[in-house]
Amino acid sequence: MTNNTTGDKSSGSTSGDVTQDAPFPKPRPMDFAAPVVIFVFAAVVAYLTTTFEDASPLIVGHAMQPRNFPLFLMAVICVLNVVLIIQTVLRPPKRRDLEPWQTWLSMVVLGLFFILAAYADLFLGIIVSMFALSILWGERRLWVSTLVSVATPAIIFFVFDQVLKVRFPRGILTNLWYGA
Amino acid sequence: MEQAITAFFSVFADPYLLGLICITTIAGVIIGALPGLGATTGAALLLPFTLTMDPVYAITILTTIYCSATFAGAITAILINTPGTPAAAATTFDGFPLAQRGEAGRALGVAVVASTIGGIFSVFALAIAAPLMAQVAYEFRPPEYFALTLFGLSMLASISEGGAIKNLIGGLFGVWLATIGADQVTAVERFMFGNYELYEGLNFIPVMIGLFAMSELLYQSTRVNQIVEQIAMKAVKLPSWADYKRIAGTVARSCGIGTFIGILPAEGATVASMIGYSEAKRWSKNKEEFGKGAIEGVAGAEAANNSATGGAMVPTLVLGIPGSATTAVIIVGLMVHGLRPGPYLFTQQVDKVYAIFGAMLAANIMFLVLGLYGAKIFARVTLVPRQILWPIVFALAIVGAYSLNQAMLDVWLVLIFGVVGFMCRRFGFSVAPIAIGLILGEMVETNLQNSLKIFDGQWWLILTQPLAAVFLILAALGLARPFLSALSDRRRRATTSTLSE
Repeated sequence: MTNNTTGDKSSGSTSGDVTQDAPFPKPRPMDFAAPVVIFVFAAVVAYLTTTFEDASPLIVGHAMQPRNFPLFLMAVICVLNVVLIIQTVLRPPKRRDLEPWQTWLSMVVLGLFFILAAYADLFLGIIVSMFALSILWGERRLWVSTLVSVATPAIIFFVFDQVLKVRFPRGILTNLWYGA
Repeated sequence: MEQAITAFFSVFADPYLLGLICITTIAGVIIGALPGLGATTGAALLLPFTLTMDPVYAITILTTIYCSATFAGAITAILINTPGTPAAAATTFDGFPLAQRGEAGRALGVAVVASTIGGIFSVFALAIAAPLMAQVAYEFRPPEYFALTLFGLSMLASISEGGAIKNLIGGLFGVWLATIGADQVTAVERFMFGNYELYEGLNFIPVMIGLFAMSELLYQSTRVNQIVEQIAMKAVKLPSWADYKRIAGTVARSCGIGTFIGILPAEGATVASMIGYSEAKRWSKNKEEFGKGAIEGVAGAEAANNSATGGAMVPTLVLGIPGSATTAVIIVGLMVHGLRPGPYLFTQQVDKVYAIFGAMLAANIMFLVLGLYGAKIFARVTLVPRQILWPIVFALAIVGAYSLNQAMLDVWLVLIFGVVGFMCRRFGFSVAPIAIGLILGEMVETNLQNSLKIFDGQWWLILTQPLAAVFLILAALGLARPFLSALSDRRRRATTSTLSE
C-alpha cells in the first residue's frame, strides 16, 4: 500500500475553500450580493412583462394573460428572497476566499472563444481556447497543450462531420475542408 | 405482458446492444471516476452522439451512463476521498478510512456488490412499479398534473445541495426559463428580444450542458492548485461471507430506501445515499465504527444511490417529471427521439420501454464485472491532469451543443449558462434545481392554464379534485419539511446543551 499524489503543482492557495468564522459572525455586504441580484433580476423581468402584447380575450378565456405567469413567478421569487435575506442576517454564510486568478482568466478565455467563434471560425475558437485553458491551468509542456488542442477538435470535427453528418458553420478553418 | 417480457429479455440476445452497453459502461465508469464529471454531465455531453441512433440504443446509452457513473463515483470516493459524483459523497465517510488502513480493495468490492444489488433491485422495482403508476396516471387531468408538478418543485426544497430557499429560487428560475419563447396558447412572444431562434423556447440540451459541464469547468479552475492524496490498491476483493452477513440487512434496507427516494420527484441518488448511510448507522450494532471504516457505511450508501437510479426513472417515464438531475437530461433524450414520457408510453411503446429496462439490468450486471476486474485500471483515470481533461470537455461541450440544431445560438447558450451556473454555485445555489425547473416549467404553466379554463378561472376548485388535493398537501409538506427538521434540530441541540450544562 503506497501513498502518492496526483495532479498538480503546489498546495499554495486554498481558493474556493471555506474558512471558519467567529461563532456569531455579522453578515458582510457581500453576503447580500445574491439577494440584490435576484431582486434586480425580478424587477427587470417584471418590467419586461409590461412590454408583452395582450392576447385576445377570446383565446385566453378564463386562463391568464401570457404576462401573468412570469409575473407570478417573480413575485414568489421575491418572497423567497426576503426569507433568504432574513436567513443571511440570522446566519451569515461562511466566508469564502476569492477564486484564484485562473478562474477569472478562464472566463476571459470563454469571452475570447465567443469573439473567435462569432467572427473567425468555430474550430479556431475551440483550438485557441483549449490551448489557453491548458496553459492557464498549469500545463508546462507546450507540445502537449498544442497536441491536445489541435488533435481533439480535429477528431471531434471528423466524427461529427463524417459519422453524424453535422455541417459546421463556415470559417477560416472549416473552409479548408468544405472549400471556399 | 408477454410483449413486455420478450422486450425486456431481448436485450440479452442483441449482440450489438450488449456491445454498446459494454462500451458505454466503460465510458460511464470513467466519467463517474473523474471528479467533477458525473452522470448528469456525462449524459448531457453524450446526448448529441446519440442523435442518429435508434431510440432504444440512444436511451440505453444515457441510462447506462446513469447507472455506471453513479456506481463509479465510489472509486474516487474510496481512493482519493473525493466523490466522483455527488451521490458518492456518503461513501467517502467510511470508504476512505477503509482505504487508509489498507482495505481499499475490500471497500471497493463491497461498493461494487452493493451497487449491483441496489441497481438490479431498482430495475425490477421500475419494471413493476412504472406500469402500475401509469395506470393511475391515465386518470390525471390538468389539475392533477399541475398539482403533481408543484409537488415536484416543492421537493427541490429538500434536495441536499444548497439550502431549501436557494433550491426553490433556483427551481423557479428554471421555470421562468421555460417561459422564454412564444406562449403555447396565444403565441405572444415572451423574452425573445426579437430573436426568432427562441420562438419555440430555449433548447434544453445547451442549457444543460452549460449548467453542468461548462459551470463545472469553471468550478474546477478554482481547484487547480489543490493536491489530492491517492491510496493505491492491489486488487478489488469480493466481500467475504462474513462481510456478506454483515451487510445483508443494510443492503436490503438501502435498496428499499433508495428506490423509494428515487421515485420521489427531484430527489435523486445523492439524497438516497445520505439517508441510506444514516439508516445503516442507525440500525448497526457497530455504530462506533462508522466514520472510521465500517463496511456497512459503504454498502448502505452505495446500495441506496444505485437503487435510486431505477426509482428515479419511474416518474421520469410515467409522468415526464424528472426523478433527478440526470433523468432531466434523459427526458430531453426521450423527447429528441420522439418518445414522449407519459402513461401512454406504456401502451404505445411497450417494446421500447421494456427494452430500456432490460438494458438497465444488463448495465448493472456489466459494471459488476467491470468493477471487480477493472476498478484498479479505472482508478488510474483519476491521474489524468485537469489541464488536459477539461479543455477536452470544453471542446465536446461546444461541438455537442452546436450539433443538435446546428445553430450558433446553442453555443452561446452553453457559454451563458456556464457562467450563470458557476455564479450560482459561487453563491451557494445548486444548478440541479434550475435544470429540473426548466423541464417542469412548461408542464406547470400549461396545466395551470388548462385547469383555469376547466374551472372557469376559479383556481381554488383545483383543491376539490381529490388527487390534486393530495399532491398539493404533499407539496406543502415537502416545503415545510426542511424548516421543520431544522427547527427540531435546533431544539434538540438546545436540549442537549442545557443537559450538558
